[in-house]
Amino acid sequence: MTPRTRAALVGGVTVAVLIAAWEAAVRMGDLPPFVLPAPSHVAATAVGSAPLLGPHVLTTATEAVLGLALGATVGWLLAVLTATIPTTGQVAQPVVLLSQTIPTVVLAPLMILWAGFGLTSKVVLVALTVFFPVLIASSAAIRDVDAEHADMVAGLGGTRRHQLWIVRLPASVPGALAGLRIAATYAVGAAVVSEYLAGASGIGVFIQRSRKAYAVDQIFVGIALIAILTAVLVLAIVALRRALTPWQPAHARL
Amino acid sequence: MLAVRDLTVAFPPARGKGDATVALDRLTLEVSRGEFVAVLGPSGCGKSTLLRAWGGLLVERARVSGEIAVPRASDGTRATAWMPQRDGLLPWRRALSNAMVGAIAAGVPRERALPRARALLVEFGLGGFEDAWPHELSGGMRQRLALLRTCLTERPVLLLDEPFGALDPVTRRRMNAWLASVGLVSQDGERAVALVTHDVDEAITLADRIVVMSGRPGRIVHEVQAHGESRYDREALLASLDA
Repeated sequence: MTPRTRAALVGGVTVAVLIAAWEAAVRMGDLPPFVLPAPSHVAATAVGSAPLLGPHVLTTATEAVLGLALGATVGWLLAVLTATIPTTGQVAQPVVLLSQTIPTVVLAPLMILWAGFGLTSKVVLVALTVFFPVLIASSAAIRDVDAEHADMVAGLGGTRRHQLWIVRLPASVPGALAGLRIAATYAVGAAVVSEYLAGASGIGVFIQRSRKAYAVDQIFVGIALIAILTAVLVLAIVALRRALTPWQPAHARL
Repeated sequence: MLAVRDLTVAFPPARGKGDATVALDRLTLEVSRGEFVAVLGPSGCGKSTLLRAWGGLLVERARVSGEIAVPRASDGTRATAWMPQRDGLLPWRRALSNAMVGAIAAGVPRERALPRARALLVEFGLGGFEDAWPHELSGGMRQRLALLRTCLTERPVLLLDEPFGALDPVTRRRMNAWLASVGLVSQDGERAVALVTHDVDEAITLADRIVVMSGRPGRIVHEVQAHGESRYDREALLASLDA
């Protein structure tokens, strides 16, 4: 057995034991389903409401993916710009830091007022959550490689433009992807929270409606969907890293 | 071809307190066309600073006085190519593509550089490794690739900063024997090479002339030309290093 399959097996068994314990606790404790439904009950609800769930999942997934793309692009460009023209970094830094002292959830009502109940406000909110880790990770990646390699290019006769194209831009890619990998774990959560406040569709809307109907089993279905969606996003980004940074050893890409 | 006259380089202290570090003190040295000169000196004697001065790589805060003369191309750009102590290979480029960085940075057209790069890869013992990632190459191969990258600039002056300093002694000796056989310069050639090293044997194997520098601040304390079969008096060189 390889260490990887062993790790996967141990993880799977742990989850199975936890779910079994939950099931047993509900049955033996005789808890009413509107307080804590058993996993089997949640699974049955999920199957029953599946046709209803499709559009909700699609909405949230769209918001998360577009928000990730927008936030990652802005964060990456800002990192490259800052490394190329230090003044932009000095201008951007206070704004960036200030934006991080305000939780994005707090900004959600404003975004909804400005950009409406639809897709735009949620994409912007996800992007606001995502850009910071991408910016930080890209900047760090550029800094790590910079002095030595930039000197190498200059010593061979290269200009500042060569330093940008040959060294800084490619150096930032693994950093940006590492930041994106971290950001992906927040993206779905940020989309769902903004849906709590307003919207006609999305997992957040589904959860809010279920809460109003005291359908605790449906809330659990919503939570499970968020977890699955996040896992799918993270795996997609891991695959993207494998494709875009083929020189990196596998352990550095997780 | 390549010269410094009364070159003094000092670095102000990083935090603005204390004395400036004088790396080079009124150094005068000339390298002629077709010459391979080794600058030999202990660590920290300023020999890397000398190469950086020629390569146009001194940091902004360095205080420089004296004259630095380097040959220039018709468009005014420096005709020097500098090879760093660490190979500086880019991890995201394969071997051939890393070598081509020299051509790109120096503005050598791709259609001319690419066939030359392929030919040199074979000559440098890297044939068959065109598509290898740098981390797949041994230390000696990485240094040879870095040297190949430097050669692809097609610039007449090569500035080599301890090119094999990061290698183990056995590999370094083998690399030096190989480099001597490649013949980077010839007496009637257009090229000149300035190499800095702290390794006496490296200097003896490679150079037509050896310049020995003192510890910081760097000054020239000894200078010898290779002659005859034995080329250099090794003991005398070692003694001048210790002086």
